[in-house]
Amino acid sequence: MAFLKILFDNLRKGPATEAFPFGEAATPDAYRGKVTFDETNCVGCNMCEHVCAGGAIRFSEQEDGLHFLIWHNTCISCGLCAHYCPTKAIKLSNDWHLSHLQEEKYEQVDHAVVPYRHCTSCGERLQPGGPMLHQLAFKGTNPRSQRLMNMCPDCRRKASYSGEAL
Amino acid sequence: MDFFSKAARKSPWLYRINAGSCNGCDVELATTACIPRYDVERLGCQYCGSPKHADIVLITGPLTARVKDKVLRVYDEIPDPKVTVAVGICPISGGVFRESYAIEGPIDRYLPVDVNVPGCPPRPQAIIEGIAKAIEIWAKRA
Ligand code: SF4
Ligand code: SF4
Ligand code: SF4
Repeated sequence: MAFLKILFDNLRKGPATEAFPFGEAATPDAYRGKVTFDETNCVGCNMCEHVCAGGAIRFSEQEDGLHFLIWHNTCISCGLCAHYCPTKAIKLSNDWHLSHLQEEKYEQVDHAVVPYRHCTSCGERLQPGGPMLHQLAFKGTNPRSQRLMNMCPDCRRKASYSGEAL
Repeated sequence: MDFFSKAARKSPWLYRINAGSCNGCDVELATTACIPRYDVERLGCQYCGSPKHADIVLITGPLTARVKDKVLRVYDEIPDPKVTVAVGICPISGGVFRESYAIEGPIDRYLPVDVNVPGCPPRPQAIIEGIAKAIEIWAKRA
């Protein structure tokens, strides 16, 4: 009579098959899917490009800033970029709806421009650096660190020495 | 004959070609068919064992130099019309093997691809999503 119990259990539990594609599919939050990029926090260290196993990331230096490019069709969702990114500007979302028609093959690209900063004192071009870098470098923020952070090394030294940054 | 072509439009046969894949994508393809949780046959399609019966062909792997001629030969045996799906980033771009001396892909250099399902490997649901797109194309083409 054991089959009666199995029959009853199966009726109670409902179908084992996921509803997808006729309904939503359960996706864990930590699922490694499409890469997302936040240009406001990228510091342009190029570490993600360096470690990228699939060679999906390209940076190029241009006049208006650092151009970031990712082609999702060669990303293996390994998560190395997110692991090594110092400011967590690059992350993996749990979006896995990536299938597309052949015509769209080369449109599976995300592009962003990371603007350069300019020294607030002399105007020299600086590597990008967002609020997250500030947090990491100074373990918190205050007006003084904020001012120093947006200066080139020379002006920062002068400002520190003369005490005007205090 | 009209009856048969109408029926064929609704129930395509799936066929799988491994073009030198690491087997990751093939395991995910097997789960779509063998594990009740995913069950691709709900979409009205079923895997078959012979290229002569195939309507939708799922290709995995980066098309290695060693397997290229064999893959093209099997692909030619699939009767037209057919719908081709590239499963995994290997056939789409070469993935981690891109620009290797042993790779002849991406696969669209040799075969007309219709749908791409990126991922390394794509999860079973993503493959089912790609197959659903292929079935839509098949319904128009058959
Ligand atoms: S997840 Fe891996 S392959 Fe994808 S962009 Fe990041 S490092 Fe590159
Ligand atoms: S995304 Fe992260 S790892 Fe990549 S360049 Fe920007 S800060 Fe560096
Ligand atoms: S896409 Fe990834 S999992 Fe699929 S065959 Fe290529 S290396 Fe293996």
